[in-house]
Amino acid sequence: MKQSETTSLVAERGKWGYTWPLWTTLLLHLLAVFLFTAGFLLTRTELPHRSHCSDVSHSPCLSSNNGSCWTKPAANRLVLVVLDALRFDFVAPSTFFAESKPWMDRLQVLKNVASARPLSARIFKAIADPPTTSLQRLKGLTTGGLPTFVDVGNSFGAPAIVEDNFINQLVLNGKKVVMMGDDTWTQLFPHHFERSYPYPSFNVKDLHTVDNGCIDHLLPSLYEEDWDVLIAHFLGVDHAGHIFGVDSAPMIEKLEQYNTILERVIEVLENQSGPGKSHENTLLVVMGDHGQTLNGDHGGGSAEEVETAIFAMSFKKPISSVPPEFDSCSCQLDLDGKNVCVSSMQQLDFAVTVSALLGIPFPYGSIGHINPELYALGADSWNLDASQKLSESDIWMQNYANALCINSWQVKRYVDAYSASSAVGFSNDDLSRIASVYAQAENHWSHSTKKLLLDIQNDSDTLVPALKRQIDAYFKFLTTVSELARSKWTEFDLKMMGTGIGIMLISLIFQFLTILRANKQHGETLSSSGNSWVITGSVFTFFLLGIRACSFLSNSYILEEGKVANFLLSTSGIVALRQSVIKGKALIESIGFLILSTFCRFVIEVGLSKQAATSAFMKDYTSWIVNIASGLVVWDYAAEVVPMLALILLAAWLYNVTSGSFFDWPWKYVILGTILSYVLIIVHWITDSNKFGVALMAESIGRNYIPRIVYAIALGQLLLLGFGQLFMKNCLDYKANLVAKTTAMLSAWSSTVILLSGKQGPMVAFASIVGGALSFCTLSLYKISITCCIILQIHFWHGFTYATNICGLAMILTFRSQFHEHQTSCSLAKKYVFSHFFPGYFIMKFVDIEGGKQGPHRSFSILQWSLSATCLFFCSGHWYACNFQGVHLMASAMVLHL
Amino acid sequence: MDRRKSSEKTTWKASTMVPSPPISASEAFIVNTLCVLVLVFAFWVANSLYSINLVTDPSLTLFFIWITELPIVTLLYSRYRRNRQRCTYLGAVGRGVLGVPVGALLNFLGAVALGAPVTLQYLPKTVNWALMMSMFTTVPASCVLGSSWADWRRIFAQTKPNGSIEYLLCLPAHGAVIGAWFGAWPMPLDWERPWQEWPISVSYGAIAGYLVALVASLGFVLACGRPQNIKRE
Repeated sequence: MKQSETTSLVAERGKWGYTWPLWTTLLLHLLAVFLFTAGFLLTRTELPHRSHCSDVSHSPCLSSNNGSCWTKPAANRLVLVVLDALRFDFVAPSTFFAESKPWMDRLQVLKNVASARPLSARIFKAIADPPTTSLQRLKGLTTGGLPTFVDVGNSFGAPAIVEDNFINQLVLNGKKVVMMGDDTWTQLFPHHFERSYPYPSFNVKDLHTVDNGCIDHLLPSLYEEDWDVLIAHFLGVDHAGHIFGVDSAPMIEKLEQYNTILERVIEVLENQSGPGKSHENTLLVVMGDHGQTLNGDHGGGSAEEVETAIFAMSFKKPISSVPPEFDSCSCQLDLDGKNVCVSSMQQLDFAVTVSALLGIPFPYGSIGHINPELYALGADSWNLDASQKLSESDIWMQNYANALCINSWQVKRYVDAYSASSAVGFSNDDLSRIASVYAQAENHWSHSTKKLLLDIQNDSDTLVPALKRQIDAYFKFLTTVSELARSKWTEFDLKMMGTGIGIMLISLIFQFLTILRANKQHGETLSSSGNSWVITGSVFTFFLLGIRACSFLSNSYILEEGKVANFLLSTSGIVALRQSVIKGKALIESIGFLILSTFCRFVIEVGLSKQAATSAFMKDYTSWIVNIASGLVVWDYAAEVVPMLALILLAAWLYNVTSGSFFDWPWKYVILGTILSYVLIIVHWITDSNKFGVALMAESIGRNYIPRIVYAIALGQLLLLGFGQLFMKNCLDYKANLVAKTTAMLSAWSSTVILLSGKQGPMVAFASIVGGALSFCTLSLYKISITCCIILQIHFWHGFTYATNICGLAMILTFRSQFHEHQTSCSLAKKYVFSHFFPGYFIMKFVDIEGGKQGPHRSFSILQWSLSATCLFFCSGHWYACNFQGVHLMASAMVLHL
Repeated sequence: MDRRKSSEKTTWKASTMVPSPPISASEAFIVNTLCVLVLVFAFWVANSLYSINLVTDPSLTLFFIWITELPIVTLLYSRYRRNRQRCTYLGAVGRGVLGVPVGALLNFLGAVALGAPVTLQYLPKTVNWALMMSMFTTVPASCVLGSSWADWRRIFAQTKPNGSIEYLLCLPAHGAVIGAWFGAWPMPLDWERPWQEWPISVSYGAIAGYLVALVASLGFVLACGRPQNIKRE
């Protein structure tokens, strides 16, 4: 009776009258998430410009006359040893810290050299900028900029650096670069190296492959003459930190191993450094790309993570020391009673300083300044054209002032170009402030310093004070720019975030009002259809949702969200099992659901353990299956075959489904198209993998054409679907029609999704289909459909969940490192789609069809839906991919295929 | 994990079995006190004789708990068995012991579904935890109810205990499970305390829930006993 009343109500108002609040809510939420993430995900535009040797003639500075490019080269060869995740306290003597720890004083050789030869070897405390992940740091080190997580203009996923960088400058200026170690370098610079010995950084548990590979090639290469710059990137310390933590025996072993290697490297270079020998003019740099916490984590902005070390040493006869004004070093006696000095610098300054030392143009987008102490290591090679009147330190200062002049001009050029080309450039106030500071320094240069420098007759008494003032003026300009850039690229836009949260709150109020309204209309329906399970069911649902919402207020729960969601999902599964025990129905479905959630749980755990592989991202083997099974050949084959079997199973299941009576012609053809796509995907995988040595067709066909065909089929399917939706009459009963439409729609999407997500795709698809089927069963089990009121309540809670999510983020952000929030917000938008839109779609479908016939306690099923969507989200490994620009990975796969 | 309070719209049929004799409030008090004392005794043995506790050696401590609870629980609850004519005291004890592995298996599976670690290192801990949980949940019930599916379903799925002894079965079991569920929540927090490890906080939660429910069940026995006495009079 009540039922017919409601249905007539639905008929009278049309489905739009019921669904518009849902659409409005969805719109508001999307807007809120968009605004919030716009303020939260820092973006930066990459400029494609390059610096050229000839550019320097546009600058007001003195150009060198002896054929060098921008600055006079102080070193002609560079050995760059990068030790991943090198904490500052690995290098500095333990006396610099309050407490001596077991991992300190292990790299003895560096501080011994630094104390024995304070003029030609130096230890720096290098401050990196967040995000302190290897990819971003290598980018920052080589470009001299501040890379963010989302660099617009990035060539969709392929991590190769688009911006000008010092490796690129080396190649452009005819220097030969040799690389060994972490293969991230070869991904960043695919065509730059003369020779490279990349080793996979994928497996964190493997402490030795990369390091041993480095060691095998490093020492022999030192004797060779065919390179100008040698890069060796060791990963062992990073991996040891991830697996065992800093305070562990493997870490200390690794550090001691490095100590011996560095000793040998320095010995070889030393022996070859005599006049006329190959390393006469070589600079050795040993540096970390970022630090790590005691647990081995990095990525954030805490002191432990950003503080790393740079050790630089030149093998020439030391001549002069830096004038004390520019010396930032602090000295301490170490345990052996030797005096060790440690200076401090920004990692941002590394690219430009090294470029200046090597005499190549500074990277176009570099915003650092030439570090005086590091620059001073090349000091002695400039005394050739020195007049007798000036001391060496004065000559050094002349050179330095000129280098800073070029440096400032280059930074100003970049700032102008950036604000001209980027949609979200610097504000006008900031630009005019920069311009005025630059003009001031520039004035001083052209009107006094330049003249003084050109006039050789000046003695140091008049020159030196003028130079000092000049250098100070340039420092002021360069610091202003780098501060501004830091505020723009490493700090969040609180206004946008606030607006986002505000809109979220508005949408909550809106939902609340709609609920009130709907309650008024349907109040009697609700109360009359109430039975005890309905009440306890909804109480339980809201209890779980409330717990989930509250859990977002804590950072720990956000980090473990996959596990928490799975915990709640399993709990709901157990409650459903209990319910079916009471009713004695659908026992198998409930048990199946529980087994599925357990399966989900294991998949999530595998994904999380892989997430620890910080420096091991962008791999060809994105599939976790392959990751686990990389040890055995049999497993290799299994890893290849299992996804295919799963796909064949899926295809068979779909074929079975089409034989069902309620599949009309358009849906049937859509599904047949999907089966065809699956077959093509399997063929694609076979041709793609190197395991089955069968060349069924030319490789290029398999690589390029099959994905295109699959996309074309998917497009055709979607068109067909749209056509069917528009022109087919819904002659069958609603339920069957719904099932047909849903299956067709999902299958139309599935082939593309499977192709994009690689070999774990079919597993996830399989799990989601089984899960979906089971949920359908549980839905039909209760034999009750949804009223608008309940949907809105659920959405209200969802909104609340996300609002707390966002508020929690905002709260945490004020006192915690940025990295995890980056991850979270990056996944926020996608999770929103996964866990909000899909259930939302189905809810609307049900509203559409059953028009709120009766009974509100579908809420429980919707909760299950939503939780399983979240779990599947975590299963699909997006969480992991998110870390490392996985957003791009997905898109790039598609772009590459096309 | 499984049982939460709920009710059911379909009318349940009363068990056709002979109900167990009512338990007086003082008897219930003695049973519950003994259960608590045994628990305390197990902790005492672990602490003073072996100088371990739940945090330092969870699996051995849990082992002490269930091994000392087992005789007391089976011996005590078998006194209140159903169908006294057909089932001897020893038979009830026997089925109580049979209930141990069954309950442990159920609890084990539940814990794994909810995210308990399954590596070999954690296996003894999980097994001992599951055995302890079965002492709190299934063993008393299998002593009293035997294999009557209808009774099990009524008490544990529908939460409709009938009579004082069934309150003693139903409430502590639910208390232990709900306590364990809540005990899992501190685990993901980054406080880095040793007790956040599986299964320590969960065991504490289960024991706390069990103790609270024991006290609550005494209250229910009192409330249940009074009207019956009045009826008899």
